[in-house]
Amino acid sequence: MSTHITVDPVTRIEGHLRIDVEIDGGVVTKAWSSGQMFRGIERILQGRDPREAWIFTQRFCGVCTTVHAIASVRAVENALKLEIPPNAQYIRNLIVAAHAMHDHIVHFYQLSALDWVDVVSALKADPIKTAALAASISDWPGNSRQEFQAVKDRLAGFVAKGQLGIFTNGYWGHPAMKLAPEVNLLAVTHYLQALDYQRKANQVVAILGAKTPNIQNLAVGGVANAINLDNDSTLNMSKLYQVKDLLDGMKAFIEQVYFVDVCAIAAMYADWLKYGSGVTNYLAVPDFPTDTKGAAFDMPGGTIFNGDLAGVKPISSFEDPYFQKNVSESIAHSWYDGDWQRHPYEEDTVPKYTPYDADKKYSWIKSPRFDGHVMQVGPLAEVLVAFAQGHEPTKRWASRTLETAGKVAGATLTPAVLHSTLGRHAARMIRTAVICELATKHWGLLAENIGKGDTRIFNEPVFPKGEQQGFGFHEAPRGTLSHWIVIEDGKIKNYQAVVPSTWNAGPRDAKNQPGPYEASLVGNPVANPELPLEVLRTVHSFDPCIACAIHTLDVDGAEIATVKAL
Amino acid sequence: MTTPTIYVLGLGNVLMGDDGVGPAVVRAFEAEYIVPPDVEVVDLGTPGLDLSPWLADAKRVIIVDTVKSDLPPGTLRLYKKDDLLVRSPSPRVSPHDPGLKETLLALEFAGRAPSEIALVGVVPGVIEMNLELSKPVQAAIPKAVHAVVAALERFGVDVKERPNPLGQQAWWASNKLLVESR
Repeated sequence: MSTHITVDPVTRIEGHLRIDVEIDGGVVTKAWSSGQMFRGIERILQGRDPREAWIFTQRFCGVCTTVHAIASVRAVENALKLEIPPNAQYIRNLIVAAHAMHDHIVHFYQLSALDWVDVVSALKADPIKTAALAASISDWPGNSRQEFQAVKDRLAGFVAKGQLGIFTNGYWGHPAMKLAPEVNLLAVTHYLQALDYQRKANQVVAILGAKTPNIQNLAVGGVANAINLDNDSTLNMSKLYQVKDLLDGMKAFIEQVYFVDVCAIAAMYADWLKYGSGVTNYLAVPDFPTDTKGAAFDMPGGTIFNGDLAGVKPISSFEDPYFQKNVSESIAHSWYDGDWQRHPYEEDTVPKYTPYDADKKYSWIKSPRFDGHVMQVGPLAEVLVAFAQGHEPTKRWASRTLETAGKVAGATLTPAVLHSTLGRHAARMIRTAVICELATKHWGLLAENIGKGDTRIFNEPVFPKGEQQGFGFHEAPRGTLSHWIVIEDGKIKNYQAVVPSTWNAGPRDAKNQPGPYEASLVGNPVANPELPLEVLRTVHSFDPCIACAIHTLDVDGAEIATVKAL
Repeated sequence: MTTPTIYVLGLGNVLMGDDGVGPAVVRAFEAEYIVPPDVEVVDLGTPGLDLSPWLADAKRVIIVDTVKSDLPPGTLRLYKKDDLLVRSPSPRVSPHDPGLKETLLALEFAGRAPSEIALVGVVPGVIEMNLELSKPVQAAIPKAVHAVVAALERFGVDVKERPNPLGQQAWWASNKLLVESR
C-alpha cells in the first residue's frame, strides 16, 4: 500500500453558515445569516415506526446526538400520552445533564476562548506571577507554578518548531486582544485541562447510555438500562458510584475553573457586556422533569418579551398549549417552495433554490417564530427565564457571577448586562453550574428510588389506529429544541424538528424582522474589516452548530474581503 | 475487562449518503473479522471534538473517513499521523469543524496524541440526504476493509476471519424494525 505525503482536507459535512455584514464607520450596520446546506432529513422518517425515530434523529448532528434522541422519544410519548417510570426520567436527566456540561465546557475552552485569549502572548507570561494571580481567585490545584511553567515551555517548543498546531491561524496580536500575558497563560493551561473534564462528562454518558456518541439506551416509554444492583451487566451500585465520582470531578472544575475564567474574561472585556444584545425576546422550555409525565420540572421554562423580566410567562408542562400553539416557521426568505408561515404539524420541506439574494431568498434555514415574534434561544434565554421566575440555583449562580466579575472590573454589574455577547458566555457558565447541581440531585433521586426497590424502567407504547399528533421539547445546550410528529396507523406521517440554531440563525421573516444572529451583530465595532474578530466574537457567543465564512462588505455594497472565520 | 489500546473508528454521517462510508466500512469489517479484546471497533458518527477522548485513550488508531479529492469517487487514499499534522487547521467555528486534524493537533499540544494513526480515506461521490452509498463508494468497501486489516496487522494485531460472517447490511439501510418489542 502506498502512502501520500499531503493530506486533502478531511471533510466533515454538517452544513455551513455564511454571515454577511455591512460596516460603516467601524460599526456593523446590517447583517445577514445564511445556512448554506439543505438537509431535510425529516423526510427519511416518513413511513417508519415511531419507536425507532430517535435512532435516526440522533444522527441529524454528530455533536448534538443525545438531544435529538431525547426530543424524539418525548414527541412520540406526547402523541401517545404515555408516561415513563421515575427511574427512566432520572436516567435521561443524568444523560442530558452530562451532555450539556460537556458541550458547554468544550464550547468555552475549545471553540470560543481563543476569540479572547492571545495564545502567543502567553509566552511572555511569568509563571510565578501567573500562579500568584490564580491563587488570588481560585483554589484549583491545577494552578501551580510548575503547571504554568510546563505549559509555557511546551508552547515555546511548538513556536520554536514553527508549528503552533491547533492554534495556527488565530488572531494573535489583534488590537481587540486585551488580556495580560499571565491571564493568557492561565487560560491556555485551562484549555488543556478542559480536555480531561470533557472526557469525564463523556464517560457519564457512556456508562448510562451504553455508548457515546449515539446512545443506545433509550426507548419510547422509558430506557433500556436494566437495573439490578447485584448484577455486573446491568446498572448496579458500582456503576452508579462511578457516575457520582465523575460528577464530583466535573463540579470541582466548573466551580473552581470555568466559573472563575468566565468572570475574569467578562471583567477584563467589560465593553463586550454592551455589545451583541440583538433580540431581547427569549424562549426556553422547562426541563429536568421530576415526575412521570412532565408536569413538574427542576428547571423552569417560559417566555420574556423586550427584555421585560417581570413579564415572564411560564411554560409549565410537556403538554402546555402555550408552547404547542404558538410555534410556527416562516420560509419567506428561505429556499423552499412558497412563502408560507405554518405550524410544524402542517409544514412540508420542499426545496427550491434560487441564487443568493438578501432581499429575497438567502438561506436554507427556516425562520421559527413564537406567536409571530423573533425569539432568542439558548443558555441566556434559559437563565433569564429561570432568574425571572425566582429559580433558586440560577439566582444564586447569576448573583455570584455578577458580583465576582464586578469585583474584578471595579464596577457594579446588574442582570441587564447579560443581554450581550459576553452575557451569553456568562449565562452558559451559570447554566453549567446549575445543571451540575441538578445532576447530583437527580443522581440522588435515582439511587433513592432504586433503594426503595423500584427497578421499573419502561412502559410499553401502544399505537391506536388513526392519527395522533405529538410534540416533544428539550432545553438543549444551544436552546429550545422541539420535535413534532404526526402518526397514522402506527407509522410516521410527518416529522419536523425545530432546532435551536434555526431559532437563532434563521433569516428574516415575511415582516422583514431579522433573526437573532442578524440583530445581534448590528452595532458591533469592527477595528479591521479584514480581520473581523469582533463579528466572530458575537457569532461564537451563540455557540453556532454550523460552519462559517464571513463576507465583509463596505458601505457601497462592494465586497472588499472574504475572510474565512477562524 | 481489557482496556482497548487500539481503536478502529468509522467517521461520517450515515444519513448523508457517501459521508457515511466510514461507519459502513467498520460495520463491514466487523461482519467479517474478529479482533482481540484490546482492539475496539466503533462507528462514531460525526463527533467533532468528541473525538478527543477516543484519540487520547489510545496508543494506535485506525480511522476510516471520507477525504476531499479530485480523484474519482471510491478511490482509496491512505495517510499516516505525520501527514495529518502538516497543514494548518481549518477554521474553528462550530463544534463540527474541529474534526480529526484539529483534535489531533490539540492532543499533540497536550502531549497525549496516539503514537500511530492510519487513516483509510475514501473519496466520496454524492453527499446528500440518503441512507445509501453511491455505487463506486459501495464498491470500494471491500478494498477499504482490507486496508483496515492491513493497518491492524502492521500494528501487530492478530486479525481473524469469522468462520460465519455476520450479515453485511447496515442498520440504517435496513427496512427491518430496529426496535424489538419488549
